Amino acid sequence: MPSRHASNPRVRGLMRRLLVASFLSVGWVAGGAFAVAAETPAVDFNREVRPILAEHCYACHGPDARARKADLRLDSKDDAFRKRKDHAVVVAGKPDESELIDRVTTDDPTAHMPPKKFGKPLDPRQVETLKRWVASGAKWDGHWSFITPKNPSTPAVSNPGWPRNDIDRFVLARLDHEGLKPMPEADKETLLRRATLDLAGLPPTLAEIDAFLADKAPDAYEKAVDRLLASPRYGEHQARIWLDSARYADTNGYHIDNHRDIWKYREWVIDAFNRDMPFDQMTVEQIAGDLLPNATTSQKVATGFHRNVMVTFEGGADPEEYLTKYVGDRVSTTATVYLGLTLACAECHDHKYDPLTQKDYYRMYAFFNTIDEKGLDGNYDSPMPRLKLPTEDQRRELTDLRAQESRLDELLKGRLPLVDAAQAKWEAEQASRRAGNAWTVLDPARAESRGKAILTKQSDLSLLASGPNPEKDVYEIEARTPARGLTAIRLEALTDASLAKKSTGRSENGNFVLTGVEVEATSANGAEPWRRVELARAEADFAQTDGPFAIENAIDNDPATGWAVDGHNRSESRVAMFVAKTPFGYDSGTKIRVRLKFESIYGRHAIGRARLSFATAAAPSLKETLPPAVLAALQTEASKRTAAQVNVLRDYYRGSVSGDAKRLRDEFEALKKLEAERDKLIPSTMVMSEMSQPRKTFLLKRGDFRTKGEELTAAVPASLPPLPKGVPANRLGLARWLVDRSNPLTARVTVNRFWQQFFGVGIVKTANDFGTQGEWPTHPELLDRLAVDFMESGWKIKRLHKMIVTSATYRQSTHASKSLRERDPDNRLLARGPRHRLDAEVIRDLALSVSGLMNPTIGGPSVYPYQPPGLWEEVAIGGNFSSQSYVQSHGNDLYRRGLYVYWKRSVPYPPLATFDAPSREFCITARPRTNTPLQALVLMNDPAFLETARGLAARVLKEGGGDDRARLEYAFRLCLGRRPNDRERAVLGRALEGERKHFRLDPKGAAALTAVGESPRPLDIDPAELAAWTAVGNILLNLDETITKG
Amino acid sequence: MDPFDQLGRDQTRRQFLGRSTKGIGVVALASLLNEGRLLGASPDSVAVGPLDTEGALPHLHFAPRAKRVIYLFMSGGPSHLDLFDPKPALTKRTGEDLPPSVRMGQRITGMTSGQAHLPMVGAAAAFKKFGKNGVELCEHLPHLGSIVDDVCLIRSVTSDPINHDPAVTYVLTGNQQPGRPTIGSWLSYGLGSVNKNLPEFVVLLSGGGGQPLQTRYWGQGFLPSRYQGVPFRSHGDPVLYVSNPPGIDGPTRRRMLDAVRELNEIELDSVGDPEIATRINAYEMAYRMQAGVPELMDIAREPKAMLEMYGAEPGKSSFANNCLLARRLSERGVRFVQLYHRDWDHHGNLPVELKRQCDATDRSAAALVRDLKQRGLLDETLVIWGGEFGRTAYSQGAITKNSFGRDHHPRCYSIWMAGGGIKPGLVYGKTDDLGYNVAENPVPVHDLHATILHCLGVDHTKLTYRFQGRDFRLTDVEGTVLKPLLA
Repeated sequence: MPSRHASNPRVRGLMRRLLVASFLSVGWVAGGAFAVAAETPAVDFNREVRPILAEHCYACHGPDARARKADLRLDSKDDAFRKRKDHAVVVAGKPDESELIDRVTTDDPTAHMPPKKFGKPLDPRQVETLKRWVASGAKWDGHWSFITPKNPSTPAVSNPGWPRNDIDRFVLARLDHEGLKPMPEADKETLLRRATLDLAGLPPTLAEIDAFLADKAPDAYEKAVDRLLASPRYGEHQARIWLDSARYADTNGYHIDNHRDIWKYREWVIDAFNRDMPFDQMTVEQIAGDLLPNATTSQKVATGFHRNVMVTFEGGADPEEYLTKYVGDRVSTTATVYLGLTLACAECHDHKYDPLTQKDYYRMYAFFNTIDEKGLDGNYDSPMPRLKLPTEDQRRELTDLRAQESRLDELLKGRLPLVDAAQAKWEAEQASRRAGNAWTVLDPARAESRGKAILTKQSDLSLLASGPNPEKDVYEIEARTPARGLTAIRLEALTDASLAKKSTGRSENGNFVLTGVEVEATSANGAEPWRRVELARAEADFAQTDGPFAIENAIDNDPATGWAVDGHNRSESRVAMFVAKTPFGYDSGTKIRVRLKFESIYGRHAIGRARLSFATAAAPSLKETLPPAVLAALQTEASKRTAAQVNVLRDYYRGSVSGDAKRLRDEFEALKKLEAERDKLIPSTMVMSEMSQPRKTFLLKRGDFRTKGEELTAAVPASLPPLPKGVPANRLGLARWLVDRSNPLTARVTVNRFWQQFFGVGIVKTANDFGTQGEWPTHPELLDRLAVDFMESGWKIKRLHKMIVTSATYRQSTHASKSLRERDPDNRLLARGPRHRLDAEVIRDLALSVSGLMNPTIGGPSVYPYQPPGLWEEVAIGGNFSSQSYVQSHGNDLYRRGLYVYWKRSVPYPPLATFDAPSREFCITARPRTNTPLQALVLMNDPAFLETARGLAARVLKEGGGDDRARLEYAFRLCLGRRPNDRERAVLGRALEGERKHFRLDPKGAAALTAVGESPRPLDIDPAELAAWTAVGNILLNLDETITKG
Repeated sequence: MDPFDQLGRDQTRRQFLGRSTKGIGVVALASLLNEGRLLGASPDSVAVGPLDTEGALPHLHFAPRAKRVIYLFMSGGPSHLDLFDPKPALTKRTGEDLPPSVRMGQRITGMTSGQAHLPMVGAAAAFKKFGKNGVELCEHLPHLGSIVDDVCLIRSVTSDPINHDPAVTYVLTGNQQPGRPTIGSWLSYGLGSVNKNLPEFVVLLSGGGGQPLQTRYWGQGFLPSRYQGVPFRSHGDPVLYVSNPPGIDGPTRRRMLDAVRELNEIELDSVGDPEIATRINAYEMAYRMQAGVPELMDIAREPKAMLEMYGAEPGKSSFANNCLLARRLSERGVRFVQLYHRDWDHHGNLPVELKRQCDATDRSAAALVRDLKQRGLLDETLVIWGGEFGRTAYSQGAITKNSFGRDHHPRCYSIWMAGGGIKPGLVYGKTDDLGYNVAENPVPVHDLHATILHCLGVDHTKLTYRFQGRDFRLTDVEGTVLKPLLA
């Protein structure tokens, strides 16, 4: 029978049966595929019975109240043992009186359990187990992982000389029971490579290998491990793994999938690992750093952990719906990463297998439902809330700039006698000039809002909007003028006290977005039909620049774009004009109809107070016009001007008219501009912060945001220990609870995940599920020992990692016998050392490292390595959004470690994705490890891997000694960390000789191959020689052993 | 040198196969070793019985009518009211507001929720009768009209999400929230591969703008990553990194791979890990893909008449080229080919844009069905044409003679299917007079999925994958096979 994937349900079932049989035969009993058991004949409820009940019974007799049948819970001792009318489901010691046994053994098809149509029948062995369990007293325990771990006693072992620490005693005890012996320690070169790849994510350098080989001290390996733990590469490598759990990415994920800035959080993680920040502190700062008393900037940056959720800005989407997704992702990630629980299963109904109710879910939800964030966000900048992070230098520079600005500002606001005298003269000139003003204000005869807004004519002939303010609106305004030969229409958006922020727009923030302008004209006598006036161009005194808001967008027939004026930040009147393609109008006079459209995705963004004018000048210009506020001030008698009007006039005169004052003004503006530019350079990062008015949390029926149930407050799941005394019921309290000594899960789940990092599989294989459906630990006592030790020693990660990599278990050779490999293909019993393919980023980093190209910079924004053209563009929406087209980096940025590669969720970087790097749309705690032809193609042909092969070649030719043999050995050691054997030397020697011959005959090919990649080609090396060695480098970087930790 | 002899040197194949290791690699290996049997298998030999394609299913649940699927995904939401579902009442009542009794409080998107009026608008173009049964279709779809007797038109698909991203995710994975496998991934997981040199699930993109796509639209969700769709591209490398770099020609690559293999074999000798054997074979498969994929993608070799029938032009990125490629991939046994054509999202200027998209797709989609039929492949290939939702009976923005738009409408929409066990010439389901609600025979997305799986011989309740303690399936806890659709 061809073997199939282990996830194949049928095979899994078969495996389980086979394993159960074999364990039984040597006195072991098993519940899961790899259960470990006590030797007593008494049945262990948790190991043997609960898995049967969970898989076959809980769907109808479990935690989910809605699905429950016959008012029976088999996940609750009280309910299972409860005396019913004339019987009980379980009667301890009496299988014959227990309805449970009767129901699973009866021949009556109507009474038989599980029901046939459920499709999950019990096999005879399972029935037997249930019987034995009841007969032996029906001992009942809570689910193992919900019970606080106690420090187990260290077991006796057959060979006390083998263990190096307690890990080994637990492992060896299990091997003793299995009748297996551990493998001898791996040789030194293998060991160093293994530890270096595991701790630093890089291969050891030749100097490191040589030093280690030369160090004959008994603690040579411990010293090497200490060196690795102290290396900053350690923090990078550990951070990279954590970032999968944190679902870190550089884009927003949903729909448009544009850019976000949150790489400062990545720096924080690297730094935390390098500083060996205790895991409990890491947890508190990441979950609730902002709520700590006197939170530092670093503690706030840490909260990026839960800002890594995907965010949408899809047009028309419901913000409330998406908020539930953001909050829900935080619940499910927290449960997965810290508790190893599938709490997301309780979003729509009570959990089917674990004691987690839908209320538990929404109570956890309440912890995260108070963030000051928006349902639709991230369009032109990272989703709010954000934190700016200036460096000391940046902070100082900005302070200086602002000080200079305020000095100039004071000067400009004060008296400047010469300038003031000139201003008085200018004002007088303007008054006379106004008579010939090129713009004539239109007196609206009719004004209607399609959205039923009320447009009221003001004394200055402007129209002020009030009343209903619909999502979208269109104003239709008609006016009449005796003039003809009209060349342009002018629109003034005037500030008004009735508008938000006394600005110009009707939206809550004071802004407007004008998405369309249409002009029609007819003759005043009505003899002509209405005709559309074609608009040739538009011009405005100002437009917002953080999106498609230029004035041209108001006449582009696209309701998606429009003119906006930053009205939410600046309450200033604005003016725009729309120039007709050809002059229009009629001899009898002209009737004009203007439609102003406000139909953008920004709802309720209409102009609040509008005034229309027209010009007949051949070249109408806005520049001729004084700004409306200035005009208004000029029109007011000097003695009656308000203080604000005086300021407006002075500012205008000094800024735009007076040459002397303008120089000061220009300098001021230049400083302002510089300040804005500098400010833009300051990195920002997404952080958590609480709303001043927190949202209420309701149970959402069936998980639908439209069907609210009862209101709930924040609390932890009822089946787990309560919040520790004295902590608040907020995120900070939750964080403290996660790492409280009473929490049975966090430490176990965490040490298990670290174990998985080193051994490929966790002690609990289902690293993300410690619930009843999760797999049983292979070494439960070891897991508890590690968990207790981790907590009691202060949650020190480096200490734990050191304990693991210095254990005899970890140090074993991977060269297993055939029979061992067959007996334990996944090495769950640990009778040999860990061996598995390297993670995607490690493969990249290894190639960069051995090529000598690696850029060792730590931290900073993400980089853009070589990528086949078009990958982003062919799926992107494009437009003005960020991260829609790929702009490759150049120079040193091409050679950064894999964890710095730009992570675009909708189009992950292919060389990493091909080697199973996740999209980071969601938290994952274990990557799959596949082995595919597409991976071969990446290593064979990705320019990054060819360039590293060429770098390796150049390096070998320069540093590797004088002859082929020495050089081949040098290259081989760089990639594999050991010397080649004779067979390997022969193969490589032949390959080198063959390619040398080939490239000497093919100089063009040699030139082409060695030109791949942007790093300079060494000119002092013969191209044919370099090409031949590049081919050898490519061969070495494609070897299974190179990309495997063995 | 025969790689299989090398493999057999120290450990027999049987030993490799008898073992459940990290799994995935071994599957690939097994399929390599089985290649002769697979290639030798006659196309008709697949029946209820053990699957020999290394999928997760031990056997099919029913005799399959289809062996493979070509899914022409029309992203953006093509308007059922203008293309497939004629509504004279809508034309008659153009300008009137949609009656609340019809809308029944149904949520609408933020793009039209602010409109004071929801003015109904009739179809942008005339409907014409086609085929033996006089099926009414938009006049812009004459080619579909010419094959309509081979097609099953469903006018009553009903979905739920009102925005693109969740709606596409729903119709492809059965769930609005990202994270589940897409149909193609489910099938390649369940049914495995029949072609040793090609992925089971291939994706083809038309090019051009429109609503954005996400890699997860052909993603494997929680399934192992080998089940994700592999994009075959019409520019650059047809499969990423399949081409040798400049300076390395075929023979050089072969020599280099021989050295890689020899060195890997030395390692295998010493370590004995079967993953090494899997890697050795992955490299051989990669080498074969280097030759096979470019040949496959080279449509210039097709006869001129064939190119014309599809409207294909070698060298372009187009839906037409992709339809022709879909046929070539299907001929080679690729299980699931998914085409993505964007730009059906007609919020405005619908009459013009609709015609443009019809012109870009009608001829080629019909040519594909016709071509499959003439090659005798239509009976075993299920072709599906459809998007993520329909469009509203009312206009988004003002109605003018030549311009209006329609917003998203998931309550009902139309798709068509052909071949692969689906009843030809059938029009299934009805919407109300205004094309707003389903009036008869609703086809929920999960039922559609159950029916598609049924055509492939799979009981949708039995294709499951355990993730986080739960057995997941494409149809979640829903799904009914729609028997009336089956031939």
